[in-house]
This record gives sequence, C-alpha cells and structure tokens, in this order.
Amino acid sequence: MRKIPVFTAALALVIAGTAACGSSSSPSSGKGGQAGSAAAFDPKTCQGGTLEVLNQASISKLDPARIYTSGGGNIPSLLFRTLTTRNRLPGQEGAKPAPDLATDLGTPSDGAKTWTYHLKDNLFFEDGTPITSDDVKYGIERSFAPELSGGAPYLRDWLVDASGYQGPYKQPEGIKAIETPDPKTIIFHLSKPEGDFPLLATATQFAPVPKAKDTGVDYEKHPVSSGPYMVATFEKKKTLDLVRNPHWSAATDPLRYACPDKINITAGLESAVINQRIATGSGQDANAVTTDTTVGPDQLAQLGSNPDLAKRVSKGEFPATTYLAFNPKVKPFDDIRVREAISYAVNRSTAVNAAGGTAVAGASTTFLPPQKALGYQPYDYFPAGATGNPAKAKELLAQAGYPNGLSITLDHEADDADNLGPKLATAIQDALKAAGITVTLKPSDDSGYRDVTGKPSTEPGLSLQYWGADWPSGGPFLIPIFDGRQIIDSGGNFNLAQLNDPAVNAEIDAINQITDPAQAQARWGALDAKLGQQALTVPLFYEKDVYLFGKNIKNAVPDGWRGQYDLARISVK
Amino acid sequence: MTQTVLTEEAAADPGPSSPPLPRAALWRRLRHDKAAATGLVIIAVMVLVAVFAPVLTALEGQDPTTQHSELVDSAVGTPLGAHGGISGSHWLGVEPQTGRDLFARLVYGARISLGIAFGATAIQVLIGVSIGIAAGLGGRLVDSALGRLTDLSLAFPYVLFAIGLMAIVPDSIPRPLVLAVVIALVAWGGTARLARGQTLSLKTRDYVAAAKLSGAPPLRVARREILPGLVTPVLTYAALLVPSNMIAEAGLSFLGVGIRPPTPSWGQMLSQGTTWFRPDVLYVLVPGGALFVTLLAFTLLADGVRRILDPKNTEVAP
Repeated sequence: MRKIPVFTAALALVIAGTAACGSSSSPSSGKGGQAGSAAAFDPKTCQGGTLEVLNQASISKLDPARIYTSGGGNIPSLLFRTLTTRNRLPGQEGAKPAPDLATDLGTPSDGAKTWTYHLKDNLFFEDGTPITSDDVKYGIERSFAPELSGGAPYLRDWLVDASGYQGPYKQPEGIKAIETPDPKTIIFHLSKPEGDFPLLATATQFAPVPKAKDTGVDYEKHPVSSGPYMVATFEKKKTLDLVRNPHWSAATDPLRYACPDKINITAGLESAVINQRIATGSGQDANAVTTDTTVGPDQLAQLGSNPDLAKRVSKGEFPATTYLAFNPKVKPFDDIRVREAISYAVNRSTAVNAAGGTAVAGASTTFLPPQKALGYQPYDYFPAGATGNPAKAKELLAQAGYPNGLSITLDHEADDADNLGPKLATAIQDALKAAGITVTLKPSDDSGYRDVTGKPSTEPGLSLQYWGADWPSGGPFLIPIFDGRQIIDSGGNFNLAQLNDPAVNAEIDAINQITDPAQAQARWGALDAKLGQQALTVPLFYEKDVYLFGKNIKNAVPDGWRGQYDLARISVK
Repeated sequence: MTQTVLTEEAAADPGPSSPPLPRAALWRRLRHDKAAATGLVIIAVMVLVAVFAPVLTALEGQDPTTQHSELVDSAVGTPLGAHGGISGSHWLGVEPQTGRDLFARLVYGARISLGIAFGATAIQVLIGVSIGIAAGLGGRLVDSALGRLTDLSLAFPYVLFAIGLMAIVPDSIPRPLVLAVVIALVAWGGTARLARGQTLSLKTRDYVAAAKLSGAPPLRVARREILPGLVTPVLTYAALLVPSNMIAEAGLSFLGVGIRPPTPSWGQMLSQGTTWFRPDVLYVLVPGGALFVTLLAFTLLADGVRRILDPKNTEVAP
C-alpha cells in the first residue's frame, strides 16, 4: 500500500499488464456474450491449440522476485504458483484470495501478527523436484536482494527486522522472521497486525525458487516453473513462448484450467495495432488476446453497430480512481471553502468523456471505487450533479474572499496515455471557467511528473492524479493517500494532502488488526466517508476496463480481482 | 524535409543577373496570372477568416474551448447526429469526446497556423537577409565564416532540433511566439544564401561602386543600395517559406510539442483526427483540407511570382 502506484508498476511488470481490472459491482460487468458461454464451458475438454497474446509492454523482467503484480499477474501466474492466489471468479466474489500452493488462506495468531501456512502434497517444479517450504522462503529472500529489486515493498515493512536485509547472496543466513519448521510448513512473523496478509501472499515474490537452480540476475532467462506452463523460448522485450509443464498437475490446482497447449506472447506492439488485429482476427489473430491493451476509441465506437465485435468484449473493473489532488499547504487551497468550491464546480460528464466515455470510466464522488471488497460507501458532500454547480461554487468563493473569481494552476501529464493529460486537464479548465476560476495548465513529462508531485517541497497546489489498489481492499487504497506516517519528504510521496491526523492514523492501525474482511470493509468505507468531508481530493471517475478477444477465444471471463480475462482459463479450441 | 527541398530549389533559382523588377509591374502582372491570382484570393480569404475568427464564431454562436457533453454519446464519446453532429448551430459538427465546436476550432486554428507561419517567415527573412548581406559585403573571412554557419543550419535535422528546443523553453513565454522563433531559427539558411548571392551580384553594379567611392559607410551601402535590390527575390522566396513554415508548425503540433491545448491548431486537430477517422473521416478531412488549400494557394502564388520574374519568360505581357 505504499510508494508505488499500480500503473507505474504496470510499466515494470513483465507483461502482466496490471492496468486492468478488478471487482465489479456495476451491472455492466459479468454481462455480455462471455457470461453465457461460461456456463457451458467445461475445463476438462478445453485442451489444445495455441493462444496468441499481443501486448504493448515489453517483456523486460521475468524473475518472480522482480515482477510487481496485483494478484500474481496474468502471464506470471501461468509460470509461478504462490501461497495464495486470486480465486479467478467474476464479479464481487472474485475480489477474494484462494489457496494455491497452500492448503488454506493461512492461520493468523497473535492478533494477526503471525501467519502460518501448510503446503499441499504432490507439488513439483518443472524438473520434477518437489516444492518445499524452504523454496518459498528462498524466493522471498531473493526479492530483498538489491540486484533483484522491482517487487512490491510491503514485505520489507511488514516482516520483523527485515528492512535492512540484503538478500541471500550477501546474507545467506536468511530472514529470521520466516520460519520453516518442516518442508510443508512456513510461518511469517510480522512487526504489526496485518489482516490483509493472505492478499499480499498472491504476489509472485511468494513463488517457490529452487536454490540449486538460482543464477541470480540470469535466473529470469529461464525461471523454474511451478505452474501449468514453462518457458520454451524467451527473447527479452520481444517474445515469450510457453509450453506445458509436464510436472504440473490439475489435481493440485483447480483454479488454472490450462487449456491451450502453447501460449505465444508478442510484446512491443502499438495499442491501435493490437486492437485492430484482434478486431479483424485474420489467421492466427483469431486466437489472439491481450493482457495490457484496453479497447481503443475506434473499436469502442464500432461496438454499437458491429454485433460480431460487441460479442467479443470483456468488461471488468480494476479498482482505481482518477482525482484532483489538493496540496492544502499551498494558497489558496489552505482554505477549505476554495477546495469545496472546486468540488462543486467540476463537470464529471466532460471529465468522463475525456477518458473515453461511460463505457470506460464511471463518474464517482467517493475516493474508494464502488466495489464492495474495498468497503465502498456512497457519499456526495459537495453535489456537483452531472455537469457541475458553478453558482454554489461562486457563492463559496465569495465567502472565501474571492468575489471576482480566482486564478489557479493545474499540473498534469504532457500526454494522455494515463488519462492524466491535456484532455482531462482542458475538461477541468473549461468546467471551472463557469465558476469564475481561471485555470492555467502546466504539463510535465510523464516521467518527471511523479518527481514533481511526489516531493512535498515541490508539490503543486492542484494536480491530476490516479490511484489503483495493489489488491482489492480498502487498506492499499487509503493508507498511502491519507496515513500521516506515509508522508515521504525525499520523493515518492502519495499523501499529497500531507494529512497527518492522529485520529486517522489510529483508525488505520485498528482496521489492520481485523482479519474478517467484512468487518474491515465497513470500517474502511466509514473512514473514506469521514475523510471525504475535508475535501482533500476531488474524485472524478473510477476505471472500467474493456478488452477485446479473438474470434476463436472461449471463456474470456473477467475476474473480479483485476477486471480482466484470465489466460489460465481461456480456451482456443 | 519539405523545408530543405523548397529551400534548395528556390535558393538556386533566381539568377544573380536578373534585374530587379519594379513592384508596381510585379503587382500588375500578378493580377493577370490566373493561378497566382487564385492563390492570392484564397490567401486573402484565409487571412480574413483568421482576423475575424471571433466575429465568425459569434455568428455561429459558439467558441473553441467550451465542452459540450450533451452533444456526444456519453458511452463512447462519438458525436450525436449524422456526420459528426453537423447542425445549424454547429456548422462542421463537434469534436469527439469533448464536444467542442469544430468550426470555431478551425477558424481559430487559422490564426495559429497563419500567424506562426507569417511570424516565423518574418524572423527568417530578418536573420537571413542580415547574414546574407553581411557575408556578401564583408571580407573573405567573414564570408566564409557566415557561409559555414549557413551550411550548418541547412544541414541540421530540423524536426529533432525543434523538438529539443521546445522542450527546454520555459512555460512563461507565450507558446505561439516560441514556435515562430524556433521554426525561424532552424530554417533561415536558404534566405541567407539567396541574399548573399544577390548582394554579390549587386555589389559589382556601378551605382553601388559609386556609393562606396563617395565614402558611404558599409551600413548605409547595405541599407540604401543593396536592400532595395533584394526586395523582389526575397519576397518571392518568402512566399515559398510561408507554407513550409505552416507545415512545420502543423508537424510539431501534431507530434504534441507545438501549440498546447486548449488552443486550437490545425496540426493538433489532424492528430486528434487520426484516432477517429474510421468512425468519421471528416475529422481528418476538415483540418487536412484547410491545410491543403492554404498550402496550395501559397505555392500557386510563389510559382506565379517566380514565373513573372524569370527574364526568360515571355508569356506574360508586361
């Protein structure tokens, strides 16, 4: 829940394309042609054929220690089994974890500070060696090595005395906070209660790595598979071809159907090319899907008039919010009336249109996206309606001492790739104009943008921001943004309001101790609703993800965790 | 690219021996040259459109930056209604996603396109003529130093250079001004060469020699004796520079390093259109057509002027 937003992670991500998906509370998800075919789909007779994956992101990392995923990723999850994994169900049910290598979701003790897992029987690597708890422990320890950086930062924070650990190459004694009393048991000792531990255990850092086969930074050339597929050929940044792993058994892994015999992944393509190829579907492209390219405006516009194409879309929701972030340390945003005025003035219709329309974004007034797993509670303290309430905004500005309007600067990214670019910025500018607020736009290069906004000393007063959750829970959504202890002065800060409220911090600690998801959800939602009253952000819209798939593809059902169809369950037969 | 091609061709063309044609005669012949006259009329119309953009959009009742979410399909952002939402109040329809009025953006875009093209040309002529005359009148050392500088500017990959320059210019300077200066800075070489050649030929004329002998300082010689002789060839050449500068502006805006939103520009509209041309080809045709017609007009005019000034040409009656 810390320094790295999911979409940045997506760049680092091998191929997985986190920019994807999630649980779905909206009526749109789970509907469509694929839902019907899912009912008739039989995982026992789906085997055969070759699946083509067409992606933009280059495959730059394939080491389980270095991949940053939500729920284990799409492609990585074909190679790496983890202690737990996402349960791959559609809709709200899909936001829950399920046991993978472990027999259950883990046993908490000591107030959720100790978590114990037992491995299933008959688990093997691709070379036939049995998988032991030591292999899981070794995989986690490797991810602490500076040369294998890139994964989520949580474990370093959570494990007792692990923050200074430098990996097994320099410190072969390992991490004392992870115990393996026998080859089937692994115990984690945390420094503070973490009810979300089973959700973190879906990350590829929890995949077993055989110490005898570890070649350090070269390990990614052929990582040893524990999943249904293994690497046949891997050309960095270009192609990755997967074939069946003969030692994987469906008996121990009911979640992955592993239908195709082969999976060929091509990386580095243009988004328009990917969508056009899948839509046209000639030759091998009929068997094509993508894990990182949502549908473009071109195909989206065709969906209404092209029933064949309309049948070949998967609609899901990755939990993510696009919002305006205030820096209350900068005038005039120190005045809550100014922040409220802007909250009233925004036009969420033009903002949603800037992102591509209601097919790919939904207007929201809450910071948490509307998903039960995150604890969503509706609220709208500054009702702007669909197109803004400039009259009310003017009234508040006059009270705040700006009867003749106000001039402010809005920082945004230079291009529209992340939906934080000129399109959205000009929509905001146009909406605030009606309330007498003159907005000067200030674009920054995408790479430089985070540097500027992530450092409290250079943080602008108002900026366009995006936040996605590392796993479907309220914690990773609210903690980095509103926990005062997460303010990082040196850069990489996401608590842009620079809020450090002891009451909020204490509530976060209290919720982290809860191991019952339903209870925790209610508390996260209540916390979000309470924070909303301070108008520290202006939530604009939540993300909806529409993916195309090829003509021959069956069972392309978006899972509730990532909102994206799962390669482990797709068939081309 | 286009810039270099036009530059080389024109720089080589006006012979140093052609006598300067009186401006009145040039104007008279231009009016009788059908192609050139057509070009002139179109340019005049475009300039009027640009100048009176606020009046035209007021007539239509729109402005170029207001977003109309009610005019686009809320699900996917395509304009409602046929042909991109063309109607009595939106003469060319509206932009996808934002619903901004296309006609308003087109006429305001003309301001940017023409303004930057003319501005950049003026700066180019200023730099080019100064350097050209200095090289022509100066000693051998000055001439060869300025000659190498000119060669360097001609050989520079201008798109890359311009992108680099645009990135380092601070935001506080108005963007159109920055664009005009950047475009001028990377493409003054042709004018300099032309001016130098013309200066060298004029230098040997008797009246120039007489002025020099009578003790006139070099600056005065340049201003009073050389400059008038440069006017017609440089103007002809400038007519060719305007369209190539327009392409440069459109190109940079297309690439996203030119004019910044929400200010409309034809290059930007084209770039937008490329994502939307399959649903409606109008999004590419409208800005592309405006750009094409204007460029064609300038080319017709420049061709006409060159034809009239060519001493070998006997078709046009004096």
